[in-house]
Amino acid sequence: MSANGYTKEQVIEALHDIAGEMHNKMLKGEPPTMTLPVRTKQNISFDSKLGVYKYGKKRSTRDATSLGSARQLLRALHVTEFIEEMIEAGKSSTLREMYYISEGWGHGKFGSQNESNNLAEDLEIITKCMREDFKLRPEEDGARIIGNITLQERNRRGEWMRINCRDDVGDSGYGVPYNVELEKIRLVDHDVDFIMAIETGGMFDRLVENGFDESARCALVHLKGQPARSTRRIIKRMNEEWNLPVLVFLDGDPWSYRIYASIAYGAIKTAHISEYLATPSAVYLGIRAGDIESYDLPADDLSSKDIQALNAELSDPRFADAEWQEEIKLMLELGKKAEQQSLAKYGLDFVTETYLPEKLAEILGR
Amino acid sequence: MSFGLWEDLEGVVAMVDAENIASKQKQISISEFFEKNKHFLGFDTLQRAVITAVKEAVDNSLDACEEARILPTIKVEIKKLKADKLELICQDNGPGIPRNSVENVFGKFLLGSRFHAIRQTRGQQGIGITGVVMYSQLTTGSKTHVISKIKSDSSAVHVDLGLDTRKNKATKSNEIRDVWFEDGEEVVSGLKIKTVMKAKYQRGRQSVHQYLRMTSIVNPHATIQLIVRDVDGEIIDQGHWIRTTEKLPRVVEEIKPHPHGIHLGQLQRMLKEADERKLTSFLRHNFSGVSMRAAKEILGKAELDEGRTPVRIKADEAQALLDSFQEVKLLAPPIDCLSPIEEILIKKGLSKAIDSRFASTVTRKPAVSQGNPFQIEVGLVFGGDLAADGPIEVLRFANRVPLMYQQGGCLMTKALESVNWKQYGLEHPGGKGLPKGPAAVLIHLASTNVQFTSEAKEAVSDNVEVHEEIRKAMLEVGRGLKNHLKKSKQRKKAQEKFDLINIILPEISRKTSDMLGREEPDLSPVITRIMNAVFLEDEVTWDNDTKQNICSVTIYNYTARARAYTILAKWPEAKGVRMVENPRGGRKETNGLWAWRLDTLNPGESAEIRFTVEGLTKGDWNEMDIFFRGNGDIIGANKIDEKLLDEMRKVEALAVAEAEHAKPDEIGSLERVLDRAEPVEGLQEAPNEDLTEPTAPVLEVIPAEDEDWFGMKDGDTE
Repeated sequence: MSANGYTKEQVIEALHDIAGEMHNKMLKGEPPTMTLPVRTKQNISFDSKLGVYKYGKKRSTRDATSLGSARQLLRALHVTEFIEEMIEAGKSSTLREMYYISEGWGHGKFGSQNESNNLAEDLEIITKCMREDFKLRPEEDGARIIGNITLQERNRRGEWMRINCRDDVGDSGYGVPYNVELEKIRLVDHDVDFIMAIETGGMFDRLVENGFDESARCALVHLKGQPARSTRRIIKRMNEEWNLPVLVFLDGDPWSYRIYASIAYGAIKTAHISEYLATPSAVYLGIRAGDIESYDLPADDLSSKDIQALNAELSDPRFADAEWQEEIKLMLELGKKAEQQSLAKYGLDFVTETYLPEKLAEILGR
Repeated sequence: MSFGLWEDLEGVVAMVDAENIASKQKQISISEFFEKNKHFLGFDTLQRAVITAVKEAVDNSLDACEEARILPTIKVEIKKLKADKLELICQDNGPGIPRNSVENVFGKFLLGSRFHAIRQTRGQQGIGITGVVMYSQLTTGSKTHVISKIKSDSSAVHVDLGLDTRKNKATKSNEIRDVWFEDGEEVVSGLKIKTVMKAKYQRGRQSVHQYLRMTSIVNPHATIQLIVRDVDGEIIDQGHWIRTTEKLPRVVEEIKPHPHGIHLGQLQRMLKEADERKLTSFLRHNFSGVSMRAAKEILGKAELDEGRTPVRIKADEAQALLDSFQEVKLLAPPIDCLSPIEEILIKKGLSKAIDSRFASTVTRKPAVSQGNPFQIEVGLVFGGDLAADGPIEVLRFANRVPLMYQQGGCLMTKALESVNWKQYGLEHPGGKGLPKGPAAVLIHLASTNVQFTSEAKEAVSDNVEVHEEIRKAMLEVGRGLKNHLKKSKQRKKAQEKFDLINIILPEISRKTSDMLGREEPDLSPVITRIMNAVFLEDEVTWDNDTKQNICSVTIYNYTARARAYTILAKWPEAKGVRMVENPRGGRKETNGLWAWRLDTLNPGESAEIRFTVEGLTKGDWNEMDIFFRGNGDIIGANKIDEKLLDEMRKVEALAVAEAEHAKPDEIGSLERVLDRAEPVEGLQEAPNEDLTEPTAPVLEVIPAEDEDWFGMKDGDTE
């Protein structure tokens, strides 16, 4: 069972449909094709029923009239065969391993790791399966969690282990595995008021050292920059299953805005599975552009790339609401960005004793 | 040998002391002169001294071998010694120097016997081997050891040479006659010099290695070897360039100077040494291009009496004579005094030193500037091992001698930079400076009188006619490059399509059928849909066993209709080069262009034309140009321009009638016609209206003169 509840047979059948499209075209004397949604920000739209951003109706067809797209088709077939083999054998592989395995695929060989990652996503989108269904794992590891929550993880021997993320772990916290679906992780119990997701390891460790998880009654999740799928998925599950608010504490720069958007609304690259990954109720806590002025934080000038990124965000449908437009324009106006750790200007305890309590009062009303 | 030193000295001394040239010249101490002018003579830095020394020795060897009609094998050995000293050994298999001439060749700066002779020699450009002997003596106090063997003597001369700089004479010591062995074998003829000098060996763009590499390019008939050893005997640099042709450069004729190219000093000297009693005969005997009528006209304009004795002409009168030279119309100087390398040998020379994919070469016809005949040759190589980033490599040569310094100030570089290389497929940022890309350009100026910007003789000075000739040659090789790049691009595209339909598509079909448990579909309609064009692939390969070029042209019809074409191939037709096998027959269209008729090529079918060519050597011919006559486009071939072809045939008929001198012109005009036939860009859909039905192929209308077709039955007419 997976997040979307597909069985092995359904996964294989969905993959075979891709081969079917190619074969049918050839029977008609036409070049084989593969059809999939356009994966750019121009083709994502808000799904009001799910509360997240999904791919729109624009489709593109890859046909085998050029060498490049013919290769893509052949690769898709090689990957399908490979996935079938893994499902049969009860194995899984990383995307990187698949990239190296493709060395033996002749003309179906991947030119770069990026190509194999993209194709895996293409197949997810077309089949509506998830990469976990394909037995493909990402390279990046998931986040760390510290806080008074208890969950069960099924270990390699198939036994369920009970872990409390405050008492049973060291200072580095509980490591989130790549698969956080029901077959692997069960959320058992908690005694916290909210989840706080933190961008940088330095700030995570600061809050841990200052005992913020206990003083503020929260679970701290370290995002490690752009969060992995499993990180977003477990945040989503804690939010849904335990009904806990999610607050996101990031640097104050254009790239942090995108991290927030991928947590709250879904990422452009994974818009096909936004409903499994996105937490629409997540709140952006800081650093806000306004904080740079009101807290008089040490700040750097925006680079030309930063400005480019901010301008691109202005036309991104995920940032279309008035509040975000204002936030982005304010940062452009200031021409400044600030890191989380710039709060240390006022001492190591400033963040836990002044900044976060003030923000929490504002957001949660306490 | 270096006989050009008179000119050297004259120029240099004039710069040192402009007054009273003639007397100064005799009084000045040679070693003082050397000391004062070592920057002009190429011995100004320790790095350059060794290059100059090698240059003098190697140039002498090449000139001597050429005169004696011997294929040169030259070995240069350099060994580093302590304290910025090194030992230089240069050895050749040339004619050697007779015992009693050794002193003259190695010991005298001023060897005046031939200074009237005007012809293209390498040695024109240096101080000569004497400079090496002198430099060695001045910097280390040592003698230069010489071994010389001429064929007719039974033993070799072994002698140590030094210079008596006050008497301008060589001093000999330890002279013996003995047999000369090298590597266990007795040397038949040759020259070996061994000298110690203060110098530094360095690598890079300005090095002995680069000098010899460049020399080997313009002397494809020479085998040159370089070994450089460290103080401890370890080899730190080496090169071995083996000859790629047995053909020696042709012997150059000596010509008399042309009045349009002469300077006052030279004229005064000629007058002073003249045997003639009258000015008219002086002019006619000592200059080229001067008839009796012209001589009288010159003297009339100069207001000089025809009967005057040349020796008595004063300086202002000589000036008047010189001025009137320019006012009289004269015959052009003869041009058989030049020795171009020739296109095919440039190609061979370049291939000896540079591994590239493509070479285009041009030898322009000789031209005249200011009374001096000159000729430009250019070679361009592209691809292969050449570095793709950074400016192209420029290889400059004057009379087969590499020019290694002052590249930016040289006319050759300026002419190269004046071309808009972007339109020929090279990066050329801002259209200024050197173009960028994996290319090297060779420029050779052959002339009886190369004009340099300074006495250092490293950069050719500005000259409108020479600039224009170089520019034209550049445009020609540029066109060759452009065609090559277009062709490679087309070929790559075609290859991709072939991979697609021959490998990838069948694999997609097999995999989907396996996966779904269905039958494999018939792919031929799919292939036609994907390709929708006629493709042509051609290949020239070299068969080492039969010493023949094997040529193959394959035409694939991937359209829905049957096709008919005449395929034309350009081949290097020449005396001694002939087609051996050609099962499809066909006919000669014009010189260097052969045509075959393909009657019906049905959809999905292919046809091959194969022929072999004898009389070339490996590497002479690597790429074929294919043209076609017929409707639609063929990817991989260009449509022939009929009008130009007709014009060309007429020219050829005329030329045949005139019989002589026809060949080079014909080839030239063919070149121009074919250049103008633009290749097809990219994959284009063939227009439908001119397609023929598969069941009832419509044959192309053949022009009346084409009735003698043979070999048609072999065509693919199924």
